[in-house]
Amino acid sequence: MSGIHLFVPMLHRRDAVGEHTRALRELLVADGVDCRIYIETPDPDTVDETRPYLEYADDAAPGDVLVYQMATRSAMAGWLAARPEPVVVNYHSITPAGWFAPWNNWIARHQAAAMRELSNLAPTAALGIGVSEFDAGELRAGGCAEVVVIPVANVRLPPTAPDPATVAALERRAGDGPQWLSVGRLAPNKAHQDTIAALFVARATTSPDARLTIVGSPAEPTYARALRRYAAGLGIGEAVEFASRLSDAELAARYATADVLVMLSEHEGFGVPLVEAMSHGLPVVAYAAGAIPEVVGDAGVLLDAKGPRRVAAEVAALLSDAARREVLVIAGRARPAALGLDRAGSDLVAALRGVAGPAADRPDDPTPGVPLRSGAPLSH
Amino acid sequence: MAAEDAGSLEDGGEDLDPRAALAADERGLLEAFDRLRPQGTLRWHFDDAVRRLTESPETAGRTAGWGGLPADLWERGRSTKASERVLGDVVKIVAQDVTEYTDRAVDEGRQLSADAVAELRASVRDAVRFLSARVDRLEASVDPLGIQAAELDLPAVDGSAWVDAAAGWTAGRSDLPVLMGELGDDGLLTALAGGGAMVEGVDPRGTVVWAADAAFEVGFGRIDIALAEVVDHLSSLPDASRGCVVLAGCVDRTDLARKVDLVDEARRVVAPGGTLVLLVTDQSAWDEALDPVVRDLLPGRPLHPETWRTVLSHRGVGGATWHRPSHGSVHAIVAEVGR
Repeated sequence: MSGIHLFVPMLHRRDAVGEHTRALRELLVADGVDCRIYIETPDPDTVDETRPYLEYADDAAPGDVLVYQMATRSAMAGWLAARPEPVVVNYHSITPAGWFAPWNNWIARHQAAAMRELSNLAPTAALGIGVSEFDAGELRAGGCAEVVVIPVANVRLPPTAPDPATVAALERRAGDGPQWLSVGRLAPNKAHQDTIAALFVARATTSPDARLTIVGSPAEPTYARALRRYAAGLGIGEAVEFASRLSDAELAARYATADVLVMLSEHEGFGVPLVEAMSHGLPVVAYAAGAIPEVVGDAGVLLDAKGPRRVAAEVAALLSDAARREVLVIAGRARPAALGLDRAGSDLVAALRGVAGPAADRPDDPTPGVPLRSGAPLSH
Repeated sequence: MAAEDAGSLEDGGEDLDPRAALAADERGLLEAFDRLRPQGTLRWHFDDAVRRLTESPETAGRTAGWGGLPADLWERGRSTKASERVLGDVVKIVAQDVTEYTDRAVDEGRQLSADAVAELRASVRDAVRFLSARVDRLEASVDPLGIQAAELDLPAVDGSAWVDAAAGWTAGRSDLPVLMGELGDDGLLTALAGGGAMVEGVDPRGTVVWAADAAFEVGFGRIDIALAEVVDHLSSLPDASRGCVVLAGCVDRTDLARKVDLVDEARRVVAPGGTLVLLVTDQSAWDEALDPVVRDLLPGRPLHPETWRTVLSHRGVGGATWHRPSHGSVHAIVAEVGR
């Protein structure tokens, strides 16, 4: 029985690529497609949902399509490039190595190798799927001939309802000052330090009671430690809270109780938190880098520079202008639909079916019409 | 993207300098974070090592290409016999070919050399980065909490007893700037500036720096405030570049090793004939003022002034004098750095 199978180096829960992969599997299975997730390294939390990728050789069926969720380096990339089945690269942006080099040279080398893998794999791919135009550009630059843009499939629409107990606790704890929120892994490309610096300036100038919550897992522990030291060194350690491992409802509570989402990331392939914030009616102030401008559109404040004074001033201006805020909130609530997030799942399934041809839902067809890549061997 | 270009270790990151347009205090704020990177710590000079290793190899200074034969060569050759003219043409062509070939060979050789050096530099850069990460972890294991001075409710250093003496400290080398490591009250900073020298204040506490910046912004053009650890700032300064260094606060709360670092760096930075001043808190006053939690978490406590004199002497700063305050609890240890 042929199918559309998903390959991801590790399948994590509460991780953008992991959740996208799991969501896509559910969509494909619901559409009657045989779909398994293959991984390189097992995650104890998801080990029951996955199989080692080398076992695919025994599972392979004529007509299969292999979908690689690409965001980092993996031995899978070279292995997939050598497979005879059509490979789709579902690209989630590789963070350029330079952002990690000052913090963790091992990860930097890993990312540099991932870029090389993209250059090797992309030209052989039957289809490249970028989650944004920004990512699609990287796919094309990598040599992918056929590229489409379909956003991530794991954004919950309508958004998850906030956890009432968390909302109540946050409201009890909140002071009179504005509550800034920033959501994103604690990784150097997210540039959380710029948000902390801006908060520092805001507190020193216009908003002495402003507070910041940064929600994100410590992807790079050294960087995470430096962020805490930075806030402490500036004397605003008490005003900056770090939170991670939140449930969807707890995260929703953060969106519901914050006054503004500040996102000063330097490299974003999509920026799920932007959409989540806008869905929750939270206004956004963001640095116009990577895919952020296309995701935010005209529904947020986009900055072409992010000096601490500029950011602090923009946030203060937004929070003091109720009418402008309302306009942005209304535009933000419409943004997920404008981005096609409501149909991202069905678009993804359709695109993958397009590669698979009619065979994927015809398990009994002995002569599936799946096109093999030119030059690929007929047996494996 | 060409395959051979894909995946450089230097892709992304802060290639351009988006901070160039920022005010100095904003840049200082952001640079304070840079120093928290494993390779950013100034104490180990990793930052400088990586910067130099990352810069492109020097490829400027190409040898000037061959300028070609003189334009009037043919004219000059008119008087010669035809056979000689032919010979001249052949020589000319050969000369051109040889010259072009030599240019190409030199270029290729230079490129090969640059590639080889680049590989070597990348290896060394990797080694430095791994080393810096290792040092960072070791430092974190020694100080697992990583508590910052700004987090703790430390007693303010009251230097008001020394306002009148400040002008005297700067008199020895008034031609050079004065550095005040950690800011106490504004009066002392103003008094130091009163001697006519440029004064720079350094403090690791963001709120203190920005408050001082605001206070001195108007009417005190000779005072410059920086956000940094004092020892880091000192280590970034050239030898004998300051007429006077006054250290306060940091000399009280740090452990003995860091106290010695401070003294060594300050001694290096003060020019001969200049003055090193330590404003140290009286031990009993310190113990009384401190919250028990803060006392437990601080790595060090003030030394007795006589102990300071011993430490200074041990580090090559002899003749330090101990001055008791007329009021308050801050002693002054004053030493002239030998000419």
